[in-house]
Amino acid sequence: MAGQQAQGGSIILLSFVFLMVLMLLPLSDSLRFARPEFVLLGLIYWSMALPQRVGITYAWLVGLMMDVLMGGMMGIMAFSYAFIIYMVLKFHLQLRQYPLWQQASFIFTLVLLLQLLLVALSSHTAGSHVFLPAVTSTILWPVIYAILRKLRRSFNVS
Amino acid sequence: MASLAVFFMDSRLNAFSSVRTALSTVTYSLQVIAALPSDMGDWSSEFFQTRDQLKQENTQLINSNRLSNIRLQKLQGLERENMRLRELLGSSFRLSERVLVAELLAVDLDPFLQQVVIDKGKNSGIFVGQSVLDATGVMGQVTAVDPFSSRVVLLTDPSHAIPIQINRNGLRAVVTGRGLGKDLSVQYLPYNADVRVGDVLITSGLGGRFPTGYPVGTIVSIDLPVGQAFAEISVEPAAHLSTSREVLLVLSNTKPDLIIEAQVNETESISLEAE
Repeated sequence: MAGQQAQGGSIILLSFVFLMVLMLLPLSDSLRFARPEFVLLGLIYWSMALPQRVGITYAWLVGLMMDVLMGGMMGIMAFSYAFIIYMVLKFHLQLRQYPLWQQASFIFTLVLLLQLLLVALSSHTAGSHVFLPAVTSTILWPVIYAILRKLRRSFNVS
Repeated sequence: MASLAVFFMDSRLNAFSSVRTALSTVTYSLQVIAALPSDMGDWSSEFFQTRDQLKQENTQLINSNRLSNIRLQKLQGLERENMRLRELLGSSFRLSERVLVAELLAVDLDPFLQQVVIDKGKNSGIFVGQSVLDATGVMGQVTAVDPFSSRVVLLTDPSHAIPIQINRNGLRAVVTGRGLGKDLSVQYLPYNADVRVGDVLITSGLGGRFPTGYPVGTIVSIDLPVGQAFAEISVEPAAHLSTSREVLLVLSNTKPDLIIEAQVNETESISLEAE
């Protein structure tokens, strides 16, 4: 079991590298505010599937990377991600049982919560555009879910 | 959760700058990867350009070069005259600044922060507070320097202010950003100040951060709201903040030790000499 525990850590890390690159890809000005929270979706998936591997600390470290990447104040993303993953861990057993559309509505709430946290903590301004990433993330959730599950199964990450 | 709160508070006091520098070397590689697709696009569009297009472009460039040369000769005369007059007045004036050419990385940062990343960092002699220009005007200044890249805060950032003067009459003021694709605004000018729509604003060099005499923007509208102490003046930035790819970093004389360190092959001096 201990040997299996160490398996696939690099796959998780690589998936986050890929998701971070997706967060950085240049988009047109109108689409920029609708960018799905790729990294958060990845964190939610991994913490739901493997809560013993990807927990609050992992989320906090990924968030710290995002802070440096995005150029905001250090610790804001780290705190927000950690807080949201704390919520996910609290409900992860129920979440696994939910059908995909119900998961997606939970995702909508979480991403909206992230946006509100960012409005409260950093320079984000409140407005109707707060909902855009939540909507796009919700739409994208089934895709991310399917891809990451495929990844997890084929590389036997546990 | 308590420890998270502590970390969070710490970060506000900027105790993590060294951690940030270490992490940013990792994130720089991520940014380069993210910029790859658009770089490839640029490269291939350059590669597959037809001969006709190139020829046409070449003619255009030659024409504009000829025009600039003529203007430059005129400017040279004016420059000499200006220097002579200044010598008469007994005030010193720096004629030329040395600049370093850098390129923007095609990555999207937080859309709420008016920042861009450039591909030169501490290793090229960039320092915090250095002014960043493009071909048409002032873009902003450097806020954070990492070994291979640095962050530039644009004029449009709400927390950014730049001392300016009006080119027509020398009236001094401060221009601040308003964020998110809005125009800049001139702060604290009373109703009776001599400003007109179309006035060109240039850097005044006060505050010692920006070099003197670079264009900042043009006044596009003046509003006099009832019941307020100051006029609302909006300014269109002279620099192409959202389209420029190449930027110039001014190596002003405020940091002489860094100028010596900067690589000589990458620096060019803007001296107004006709060949």
